[in-house]
Amino acid sequence: MRIAVQESLLSNRSRKPEQAIVFSVANQEFAIAAESVQEIRSADSLASTAIELDCVALPKVRHTVERGRHSYYVVNAGVHFSLPVSRPTLVLIMRQLRVAVLVDRIERMGEISGVYPLPRAFAGDERHWYRGLAYLEDHVIPVVRPNGFLTDEEFQLLDQAMSSAAAPLELAEGAPPA
Amino acid sequence: MTTAIEARTSTSDAANARSFVLLHVGDARYALTADIVAELAPPVRLHSFPHTSPLVIGVIVRRGRIVPVYDAGPVLAGRSYSAHRFYLIARRAFGAALELSAIPVNGECELATGEVLPARLDRHPSICGTLQVGDEGVDVLDFETLVSSLPMQTEAKTAGEQPEARP
Repeated sequence: MRIAVQESLLSNRSRKPEQAIVFSVANQEFAIAAESVQEIRSADSLASTAIELDCVALPKVRHTVERGRHSYYVVNAGVHFSLPVSRPTLVLIMRQLRVAVLVDRIERMGEISGVYPLPRAFAGDERHWYRGLAYLEDHVIPVVRPNGFLTDEEFQLLDQAMSSAAAPLELAEGAPPA
Repeated sequence: MTTAIEARTSTSDAANARSFVLLHVGDARYALTADIVAELAPPVRLHSFPHTSPLVIGVIVRRGRIVPVYDAGPVLAGRSYSAHRFYLIARRAFGAALELSAIPVNGECELATGEVLPARLDRHPSICGTLQVGDEGVDVLDFETLVSSLPMQTEAKTAGEQPEARP
């Protein structure tokens, strides 16, 4: 039987420092690897390219935004983490994922000494949400998994909602003039 | 209030006597086998973040390690006890590995040895026996069953219902 599986925060064995962005939602702090974020924009600046999306089964996603030639599903992080209603002002656009995340604000950017495994006591959705935990300035902060905001099934649901929203428009455009 | 686990001499010298840590959850006293107890930690900051695991209320940092904290109150007494600021740290088995876990206690813990009798029938499934301490019968906790239990309020709900995330 193995003992003392919880690695000490003082030990940097097998941990590598990384740059992280610490953001907050409803006064709750989270960290995300800086390299997984392509762009940070104000929510207002993206309003003109936002398209409303009607997917009742997934209330955390209500819009898509266009950046370059790509479309991103906008996930409200507060709804995703079941936090109290807040006022998101920023959008984190993920790199190599069709996901953008609405957050309240950026708290700081800096180096975290490592990501420590989530204790096995945490056995729910959080194992998908988080890569692990970081210890930063006397705070333990969950480090979010960029691909944890939407599951494959949720992407499928959203793609279907997008297709069904586009279909009537295509039909109308292709219809013969009355 | 005592901050160290105090030794208590039992009247029983029976061969099957084992050591237990006596702790308070709410108004009741419970016993936990001393074999799995690592230490009684002083009040430290509880860090919480959203998750969906029942009973887990956050983590503490103790001796450089991140230790999950379970709230035993909702299982044993149907409510949380926010006044509990100390943490009894015990080892929980996950397959072949052990992980430190903590439950909030009020700091009044002591050591006792004694014979364990079968649990009374009306007890919660996390009670695995009764420890005779003097004239008192103290419920013995099965730590694994305790931390795997659902809070009383949740148990009453329909099985299979998704737990809500708790910050």
